[in-house]
Amino acid sequence: MTFMRQIIFLCGLLLATGCKREPVAPVSAIATNQTYAVRGVVQEIPPDHRHATIKHEAIPGYMDAMTMDFSIKNTNALNNISVGDEITFTLVVTTGDDWIENLQRTGKSVAPAPAPTWRVVESELQVGDVLPDYSFTSESGQSIRFSDFHGRAIAFTFFFTSCPLPEFCPRMNRNFSEARNLLTGDTNAPVNWQLLSISFDSSFDTPEILTGYGKYYRGEDTNRWLFAVASTNTLASLAPKVDLNFWRENGSISHNLRTVVLDAGGKIFKQFDGNDWTPAQLADAIRAAAKVR
Amino acid sequence: MPPEPDTASGQRKDEKIFLVIVIVLAVVVGVGSWFAAAAFARHDQLHGILPDKERTLGEFSLTDENGRTVTRGELDGKILVVSFLFTSCSLTCPEVSKRMAEIQRLTATNADVRLVSLTVDPRSDTPPVLAKWGARFGADTNRWYFLTGSKTVLHNLIAKSFLAQDNGDPFNSMPGNFTGTERIAIVDQHGKTRIYFDGLRPETSAAVVKEIARLRGEP
Repeated sequence: MTFMRQIIFLCGLLLATGCKREPVAPVSAIATNQTYAVRGVVQEIPPDHRHATIKHEAIPGYMDAMTMDFSIKNTNALNNISVGDEITFTLVVTTGDDWIENLQRTGKSVAPAPAPTWRVVESELQVGDVLPDYSFTSESGQSIRFSDFHGRAIAFTFFFTSCPLPEFCPRMNRNFSEARNLLTGDTNAPVNWQLLSISFDSSFDTPEILTGYGKYYRGEDTNRWLFAVASTNTLASLAPKVDLNFWRENGSISHNLRTVVLDAGGKIFKQFDGNDWTPAQLADAIRAAAKVR
Repeated sequence: MPPEPDTASGQRKDEKIFLVIVIVLAVVVGVGSWFAAAAFARHDQLHGILPDKERTLGEFSLTDENGRTVTRGELDGKILVVSFLFTSCSLTCPEVSKRMAEIQRLTATNADVRLVSLTVDPRSDTPPVLAKWGARFGADTNRWYFLTGSKTVLHNLIAKSFLAQDNGDPFNSMPGNFTGTERIAIVDQHGKTRIYFDGLRPETSAAVVKEIARLRGEP
């Protein structure tokens, strides 16, 4: 980024000086000065006071919200500011440089969240193993847990709403829809079961989005089928236990397909890998799993 | 530049200053271009990435896309071109496999070269699934092995012989928290991991072929 900026600056300089008699580099630099008013929280201040790492809000027309390191020209600018402070500041961008100035503490000081570390070390569970309890955020925005459905067989699968491949996430939810119809339409079927479609895209799949998506695949009837979203922390622990793999590349999520049936006692009863299984097979597994306490 | 009328000495002075500026700029541009050309030439050569530490090919017994057992022993003395994948990976892995296919084509006459692709998601990537993936890229199953088997064996092999693992956000790295999974690794005839090239870059195919030629010249 900085390298490209330097190249562009150099090219601009050469063009400007090459075409006119007077060296006009400073003029071209001043002409493209841009300033942006920004809000953020200070994450780190190196001892030289010439930089600060700030988790900032989106800068409309310039960049998304992110945590990044900014240059500071006036080394006194950070005198009354410490890590964790909410601040406002001005970002100045020229053709060849950028820095921040006018740093103002907005009063409130919060401890910065520690950088999370994850490591997938959990081992894969087998059929018959008890799956630990995990919590998710449901489509209505409430916290739900596997244990909320105690006494019911639970079938859960993973998806994300912007999944582009019809034979992946959408097929999982279509299969869930048909399996639910098979079970609710069968008067001999047990009634102690629950379906759960879990999104792994916590940055996009808000309760509102899940509600809309849920309506499309399930309709208004939320009976025995909920949509929810898992946090990255939850996934870091749950995913390896059920051999779920995912990877965010180029803004989308590549992932394998794992559908798990827990029996009414919370043990893994059956796992469906991939997309080569039918709603009838899932319904049969749920019928059997509901009887195991 | 048309000559300007020689009417005043002030104008001549201007002209001189202008000439000096032009000369200085010419020198700056000349030297700059030379540096830029040198930098781009180096860029074009596509330097490989050296291993972060001494890495050698570990022992293993895995299964290829035909269901055949492939062991470390079978590959002794061969130069290996190694990539990493899982078949539900939709962007990076197809691109790297495309590169592997190019390398397969460019090394078709090298009997001492084998291509190996290791899956990080073996429960999904069974031999039939890998065979389908290989066919998509025109894999010659006599020379290009897609290996699957126990997840522990595969992950340990990749971690020991090829790639580092980090503690970062699991969304940011290929399953197993491996880093540099877009790379293509080269193992020499003595089982030593020698160098990596970026599997997402088109120039990598030629660079790998060149590296193989270099290795074949070694004792």
